[in-house]
Amino acid sequence: MTDILKFSVPGKAEYVGTVRLAVSSLANCAGFDIEAVEDIKVAVSEACTNVVCHCKSNREGVYEVACEVGDGRMTISVVDQAGGYDITKYKRPATETPKEGGLGIFIIKALMDEVDIFSELGTGTSIKMVKYLNRF
Amino acid sequence: MSLQMQSSYNKELDQWDLTAKGEVDISTAPQLRQYLDGAYQEKKADILLHLDELSYMDSTGLGVIIGVFGRMQESENRILLINPRDNIKKLLSITSLDRILCSDN
Repeated sequence: MTDILKFSVPGKAEYVGTVRLAVSSLANCAGFDIEAVEDIKVAVSEACTNVVCHCKSNREGVYEVACEVGDGRMTISVVDQAGGYDITKYKRPATETPKEGGLGIFIIKALMDEVDIFSELGTGTSIKMVKYLNRF
Repeated sequence: MSLQMQSSYNKELDQWDLTAKGEVDISTAPQLRQYLDGAYQEKKADILLHLDELSYMDSTGLGVIIGVFGRMQESENRILLINPRDNIKKLLSITSLDRILCSDN
């Protein structure tokens, strides 16, 4: 048995914190410990930040955040219509020569248990992230 | 969702003590950049960025700090993060940035 909550969010920087608060509150209610709640907060913010960065030059600046809670896990999908990008060009950041950008996806993958990214050029991107309860 | 910054230059030690309080994300990262760059332009010296009261930071904040770190390297100055909370420490560790930005590593 799972519950699904959906938020439709304007692709503006000032609302990323609102999404973060809402999702962390949900994660807390779902029984995740403090560290897991923090992981979820950062991962969701990174996904939203990516959308906001891609929305800057696009009119279709509304994205959807869907959270599914229950069955011992929380699944969060961040779906945008911001034009997509070529995910095959994503490179793991070189930590010995750090750069200002490109850490977001790397951090999401490090913090969440499962991450799936789909992107279609000309359409949009979807990031699906799963965190399990009590995974040691 | 706000960020408060304080800065003071320590003449004796020739270093900046900057304090960040609140949250750094995509909406407040420009403010952090402005503060760090502003201090460094005023006086080229090492920066100690005190994070005791910073409750949240993500890659947008790390990006700003990496940028400042790069610009400071030209004059052989450095930026050090002091007392980051556990959640921020975890990000610094994941990205291996603790090796260059934290003094106790």
